[in-house]
Amino acid sequence: MKLELTLNGRPCVTEAPGHWTVLDLLRDGLNLMGTKYGCGEGVCGTCTVLADGRPIRACLVLAAHVRGRALVTVEGLERDGRLDPLQTAFAERGAAQCGFCTPGMLLAAQALLAQNPAPTVDDVREALAGNLCRCTGYTKIVDAVLAAAPGAR
Amino acid sequence: MRLYPFDLVEPDTLAAALDALARLDGEARLVAGGTALVPMIRLGLVKPDRVISLHRLPEFAEVRRDGGTLQLGAMARLADIYTAPAVREGWPLLAEAARRVATPAIRVSGTIGGNLCYAEAASDPAPALLCLEAQVRVAGAAGGRTVPVVDFFRGFYETALAPGEIVTAIRVPATPAGARSGYVKFTSRSAEDRPLVGVAALVVRDSSGRWDDVRIGLGGVAPTPIRAPRAEAVLRGEVPGDATLRAAAEAAAREAEPLSDLMGSADYRREMIRVWVRRLLTSLRDGARSA
Repeated sequence: MKLELTLNGRPCVTEAPGHWTVLDLLRDGLNLMGTKYGCGEGVCGTCTVLADGRPIRACLVLAAHVRGRALVTVEGLERDGRLDPLQTAFAERGAAQCGFCTPGMLLAAQALLAQNPAPTVDDVREALAGNLCRCTGYTKIVDAVLAAAPGAR
Repeated sequence: MRLYPFDLVEPDTLAAALDALARLDGEARLVAGGTALVPMIRLGLVKPDRVISLHRLPEFAEVRRDGGTLQLGAMARLADIYTAPAVREGWPLLAEAARRVATPAIRVSGTIGGNLCYAEAASDPAPALLCLEAQVRVAGAAGGRTVPVVDFFRGFYETALAPGEIVTAIRVPATPAGARSGYVKFTSRSAEDRPLVGVAALVVRDSSGRWDDVRIGLGGVAPTPIRAPRAEAVLRGEVPGDATLRAAAEAAAREAEPLSDLMGSADYRREMIRVWVRRLLTSLRDGARSA
């Protein structure tokens, strides 16, 4: 089936079988490897991407269901070769250990900060509740999101 | 990791969706948000030949106040329900329960119709819809019908839907004037988990403080989400003191039919029903919560 969507700010016209998920489309159809496959059941959160600014699980959503929508993956966070403030905060504060959960963490955090520029610790923890870090580096992840919040600067 | 291959059908009318579902060649499944069906396909629990998506059907995504009634399209997303001002103002119990489902990303994709049709016993919205006495609108080849939500759940992951039928909408009657309501969810593993025990309650007091309308809905405590009529009967007509609230919680624990699973044993669930029903009812009596 034919799919037209906006991917990381650019128009994207592509093809995908009907049984593909958004994750299949990104990794296998479009060769964007930043979005990870974790549990495949929507529990771990590492495949989180944004659709029209809201977080979705790329492993659960059928590719057909993002037709016409605006997707943002971790590859789309940087602007003009410069990292997003969230990415900088993660790097500076050691919020990425093995890195496998990081793409999902960044996008879930991005969705939070877009609607709440000055979140509390509890807001951050709730927004990231569905993103598991098996290195258990949550403290630094929450610190990084708080540091990157526009309302905190 | 790929899904077992199926043909995806994307009808743009209800008639076309019903036709696709009625075809006899192979097994067909409906998909709404995909948060339940996609993992089931991935785990090999179902192997549909044809998956019929409802995302193109007009009006299926609506969240709309229609006079005193709340009209929810079957494809209304959980996040769109609890963020809608009309729902927060008029049906705070539903907003509170929908807000507690899983995680933000699941609530963005997951739908109210999908939640009911999956018929998970540990549903968060179902106990609230049971208390609000919602009606499920169903379409089939022979026409439409309405099923009270209390009759919609028939057994473990079983609904009242006949083969070929599609849930089109959920209608929620007005919350009774002056009602106090609340939803509490106890999880044994992590906050975003499905409830080990979920309790929704709605009470209306008369001018002397007697509870003349009492509704209690429970999730995770039986093969399906249930009302707790014996617990309600303990409270109806009473100005409940602590002993009466404890007696109601005890009645709820007795009328539940909990199962044991990895989240907790049946005995532990019964004990948690006693605790959480009593706590919710106490907070409603003391006015710590209100609708």
